[in-house]
Amino acid sequence: MWDRIEFLFSEAFTALRRNILMSLAAITTSCVALFLTGGVGFAIKGVNEYAATLPSRFEVRVFLKDRVDKDQIRATAEQIREIPGVASAVLLPREAAWQRFKQENPDYPTTGLENPLPDAFNVRLTDVDDIEVVAGQIKKIPTVSPGDGVQFLRREREMLSQAISVLRLVGVALGGMMLITGAILIYNTIRMTIVARRREFRIMRLVGATRATIVVPLLIEGMMHGMAGAILASLMVKGAHQFLANQLESFSGVVRVGPLDFNQVFGVMLTLGLAYGLACSLFAVRGKME
Amino acid sequence: MAASHIEFSHVEVAYTKHVTALKDFNFSVAKGEFVFLVGSTGSGKSTILKLISREEQATAGTVSLDGLDLGALHERDVPTHRRRLGIVPQDFGLLPRKRMWEQIGYAMRAVGKTKREVRKGVEQILEAVNIGHRADAFPGELSGGEQQRVAVARALINDPEIILADEPTGNLDPHHSAEIIRLLVELNQKGATVLVATHDVTVVEQFGGRVVTLQGGKIISDEVRNVG
Repeated sequence: MWDRIEFLFSEAFTALRRNILMSLAAITTSCVALFLTGGVGFAIKGVNEYAATLPSRFEVRVFLKDRVDKDQIRATAEQIREIPGVASAVLLPREAAWQRFKQENPDYPTTGLENPLPDAFNVRLTDVDDIEVVAGQIKKIPTVSPGDGVQFLRREREMLSQAISVLRLVGVALGGMMLITGAILIYNTIRMTIVARRREFRIMRLVGATRATIVVPLLIEGMMHGMAGAILASLMVKGAHQFLANQLESFSGVVRVGPLDFNQVFGVMLTLGLAYGLACSLFAVRGKME
Repeated sequence: MAASHIEFSHVEVAYTKHVTALKDFNFSVAKGEFVFLVGSTGSGKSTILKLISREEQATAGTVSLDGLDLGALHERDVPTHRRRLGIVPQDFGLLPRKRMWEQIGYAMRAVGKTKREVRKGVEQILEAVNIGHRADAFPGELSGGEQQRVAVARALINDPEIILADEPTGNLDPHHSAEIIRLLVELNQKGATVLVATHDVTVVEQFGGRVVTLQGGKIISDEVRNVG
């Protein structure tokens, strides 16, 4: 059995050696294709995960004026809850918010500083379309801070949604084109192998070699193209993630790129690459090869 | 008369409406026979060999081997069928970048023989065709006769019961031609059924035996020629 596998792989490596330039072209194109489709997939996943940490589209954050006492807070909560379209209003005490801020930003110099944060409410709505009306009514409450006392993240949400759409478009359009180009290159490489090795294949057929003996090395060759492309694409995803993380870190301390599970990226990319190479080479070896 | 080993019954092979290789062709070969198929180019002799090796299929009639209809053979069973045959192509079919022992070893590996079996078998097979002393040579370093010997050797890797040689002397001088036919006769004497397609009349006259002459896809004579 091992002897057989060794023979099939040695046949595949012979083909790779003979078609080295075409193989390199197929590998690099597969790499870019997988980077664009797979990498964008991971980017979308990252943006989605980031979006999940933001207040929901159904939430409005209400900041109160300074020096509002407990009774006023209670009264404000009642007033907010009475507004049609409000599902709930949860108090976010200024002390708790200050503690959380200090925990999340340990490098920020807070020692000796008085808590600058106001008391706030997290208001959930029953319908996101009512957000403007509800926000307008909350602003009218005297204890609510004027100006930016009512905040909701619709715009941020929309921006994220747009970012995902753009990423998806880039992934589908560019990645799709590169996938097709890569597929044509792998197909051509396998067909060239078939032409280059027609003498061997003829002899194999004459002596009674099975179709599998002839075809399996070609499939392995295609899978190797996909696999090599996937390994390079995984490294590119890792590099791009690192680059993006460093850039954002240097521009802003607030927006952070989440960690990348490289093992997961590698596993997914490798599976995709192998399946891609296999599909292309299966297409190339279909039918008669004479 | 001996029972038919290979049987052609009303076989027709038509490539197009107007080009027909064999027409209502009836022919049989007994086990252990040595048959020369002679005729000019396009007479149908190579087609006969290709029908037996299932490189081609009859458009009408049946070709059978020990009663097995080769036309009805499923594609996946063709390799098993071919392992009963030893096929010697006219152009030797040697791989330019492989040494002689590698040519045999490669073919053996292709049919599933292990490395150990290859190590044991290659030398034996090359010796059987008297080319063992050139085992390390590349095809370009050998004469046509030596190359054809290696092609015959490769045909022996499955210990075949039938040897099909298509113009095995087509590229050889008379001396080497006789050498190759002698080799095939020796294999026949060891029990193999041998069919040789040739237009080399000199060789046929030299060795005699059953000679089937074809013209335009039909048998015009089927006789046993004795050598004086």
